[in-house]
Amino acid sequence: MSLPTEQPWDGNWLIMVNPFMWAGLGVALSIGSSVLGAGWGIYMTGASLVGNAVKNPRITSKNLISVLFCEALAIYGIILAIIIQNKYASPPYPFQAQDYRAAYANFFAGLIIGMSNVGAGFCVGKLGAAIANADAADSSLFVKCFVMEIFGEAIGLMGVIVAVIVCSSMSFRTD
Amino acid sequence: MSIVVSEICPAYSTFYGFLGAACALIFANFGSCYGAAKAGVGVCVMGVLHPALIVKSTIPTIMAGILGIYGLIAAIIIEMGIGNQYTLYASFAHLSGGLCVGFSALAAGICIGIVGDAGVRANARQPKLFVGMLLILIFGEALALYGLIVGLIIAMKGQNQSCAVVNP
Repeated sequence: MSLPTEQPWDGNWLIMVNPFMWAGLGVALSIGSSVLGAGWGIYMTGASLVGNAVKNPRITSKNLISVLFCEALAIYGIILAIIIQNKYASPPYPFQAQDYRAAYANFFAGLIIGMSNVGAGFCVGKLGAAIANADAADSSLFVKCFVMEIFGEAIGLMGVIVAVIVCSSMSFRTD
Repeated sequence: MSIVVSEICPAYSTFYGFLGAACALIFANFGSCYGAAKAGVGVCVMGVLHPALIVKSTIPTIMAGILGIYGLIAAIIIEMGIGNQYTLYASFAHLSGGLCVGFSALAAGICIGIVGDAGVRANARQPKLFVGMLLILIFGEALALYGLIVGLIIAMKGQNQSCAVVNP
């Protein structure tokens, strides 16, 4: 494809990149970064959980819910990755403006859900670690402190909402 | 047939628009998550010795969670303005608005987290500090509100732009 010669320079590199790379990176970021965040949260919660359970084995089954909440963030990433890869179509060459728009939408949907889950994974993990500490000291505290972890999960859900809206706004040409 | 590059509505303009929406949501989420985590850890540590104060002390965590909603609002408003006829002017306006909201909410989240952590621990030892802690938290939340207002004002400048070139 011949590069335009007298056009504004600020975006030509974006069109030089194949749109399939953007869309593919979106799928990869969606699942990869979500799993990164979920793993971060699980290791923070898990380390605190097993450390506290040495002297208080009763806390194990209740505090596994914190680990489950971190895993749910990875599930959000899987769902979004499947949604984005459904949009990953193969339009006929040469590419037109609509293909580039769809490619950017897919990339940013994946970036949004991935980075949102990294933050939410950190939050839920840190709260889970603190809740395991509190539960080991006094078992009546678990339910009261767990409300905060639900707020952390809600933050991750906002990323899902925006990512789904962004991904479904543009599509590749199918003719 | 739509061409790929034109002067006013190039095909890559949606990249900057979506980047604005992404920055709004991602950085607001980072701030919100940091604030919720840091304040929540303080509540859990404090709650071991003062269980009666836990419910009151979840206020900093809730205020940090609201920052995520600011990012959500800005991202959705920016995304609704992105369409097929999308000028470069509008795209950079949306990028700027998204960055405003995102970084302001990140800063406010860090602030609310650290103040909430120290505040709930101090409130457990001195109950008269509750109102003072709330005042400091409200000033911190106002930072995110400033960012949201400015971000939405500049993002709204991207509306009603047309791709037609006006030849003088």
